[in-house]
Amino acid sequence: MTTTTNSFKQESALTIQCRVVFALIMREVKSRYGRRQLGFLWALLEPMLFIGLFIGLFYLMGRNSQSGIPTPLFFVTGFTPFFLFKDLYPQVATCAKGANTLLMFPQVSRTDIILSSVTLTSLLSLAVMCIFLGICYAAGYEFQMQRTLQVLGALTLLILLATGVGLVVGAFTIKYEFVASLAGAFLGRPLFMSSGLFFTADMVPATARDYLLYNPILHCIELLRSAMFESFESRYVDLPYVVYFVLILNAFGLMLLGVFDRQRR
Amino acid sequence: MISLEAVSKTYKVGYKKNRVLDNISFTFPHLKSVGILGANGAGKSTLIRIIGGAEKPDSGRVIRTSRLSWPMGYSGGFQANLTGRENARFVARIYGADFRIVEKNTIEFSELGKYFDQPLASYSAGMRSRFAMAVSYALDFEYYLVDEALETGDARLKEKFRQVFKERRQTSSVILVSHNETTIRRNCDCAAVLNDGKLHYFEKLDDAFLMYRKILFTETAA
Repeated sequence: MTTTTNSFKQESALTIQCRVVFALIMREVKSRYGRRQLGFLWALLEPMLFIGLFIGLFYLMGRNSQSGIPTPLFFVTGFTPFFLFKDLYPQVATCAKGANTLLMFPQVSRTDIILSSVTLTSLLSLAVMCIFLGICYAAGYEFQMQRTLQVLGALTLLILLATGVGLVVGAFTIKYEFVASLAGAFLGRPLFMSSGLFFTADMVPATARDYLLYNPILHCIELLRSAMFESFESRYVDLPYVVYFVLILNAFGLMLLGVFDRQRR
Repeated sequence: MISLEAVSKTYKVGYKKNRVLDNISFTFPHLKSVGILGANGAGKSTLIRIIGGAEKPDSGRVIRTSRLSWPMGYSGGFQANLTGRENARFVARIYGADFRIVEKNTIEFSELGKYFDQPLASYSAGMRSRFAMAVSYALDFEYYLVDEALETGDARLKEKFRQVFKERRQTSSVILVSHNETTIRRNCDCAAVLNDGKLHYFEKLDDAFLMYRKILFTETAA
């Protein structure tokens, strides 16, 4: 029997990791969005539904966003980042927790699986956000992105935040199954209400604001809006707080994962 | 090189700790086919999973500097809603191999025909293991990991795979775990016995079988 043989070259660990992450992303794209084009549409549909609902609601109430940002843009910059967080952290948790069959391949590590999932979901959310912003722009809500780097920074912080939460939840779930549902209950509705999707920190009474500002997502969204729009500048963004929060959360998550990893069956 | 350095692994069974691998150090010989014999529950699958990186040891480390296969014939790592071609392509990608060659070889070995472009979910169990086997042969590895089942498909395919495996043994190394002496005798040059967390290596197959039988015998007597 004749076989055409492959030539392999010696490669560095980083090259291998990049290749593996790329392969995982391609695989995920194909299995999630490949056969049914609806997969990608669904990613657009959910935030679109919410954004549409709130624009409608505000329109009926005869209100505008009261922040200096045109209402549609205000909601787009609130909901899409929030949905990025909401979609991403359970995915990271699943990757961190699961007895993943992909680990059977010697060069695929749990880190690779988490990295690919974070990259893919983030890129997808970014695309969704661009589409919504494009629609707003086309509808006549013109804006000039002021500080692009700061926009990317705010989104990066949010992505890292979701990753950290996912790591912590996932690691705990290895040992304590109920943590996943607990997280679902505590991170779902409360964060939806408190992350500044339909308000800015400036609008809430001072006493409530003091509590709300413990929520790092609110900071990220305020930061994002300040960076995007000339007409809005938040006075409440505490950047060091968010950065420390993210760093400590991720370190804690990785540590927990190290501890519980051995107890996996 | 594939090498174990002071590898230990303990499982908790209820309140009792079961040390499956106890401080094992071993370098798998190059270009040889090593059989690992062990009774049921001796930790053969754990060993394979640790060598392949699917599981981490409690302590110690595994050095993999050679291109190592995943456990052969194992189809769990493939995505059911992707086609055979897409799965083959994924594997080619993670190994950095030319996917056209991998695809071509897989089609040739698996004889799946038009099913190659159908999702794995539509395959029968036999077709799926045939596909998994074919992909493992389509890439040529320096080390093949084999967990028991080498045989799959009908008599003719079995013969075909046996032939390929024989060829590969000339140019690659093999690590095969089994509880079956016949499987080891047919496919291996040397063998090790896994018992009580320790790995006992023998150059001669017969010496390994001798020890293995002794273990089985005392176990049944006890």
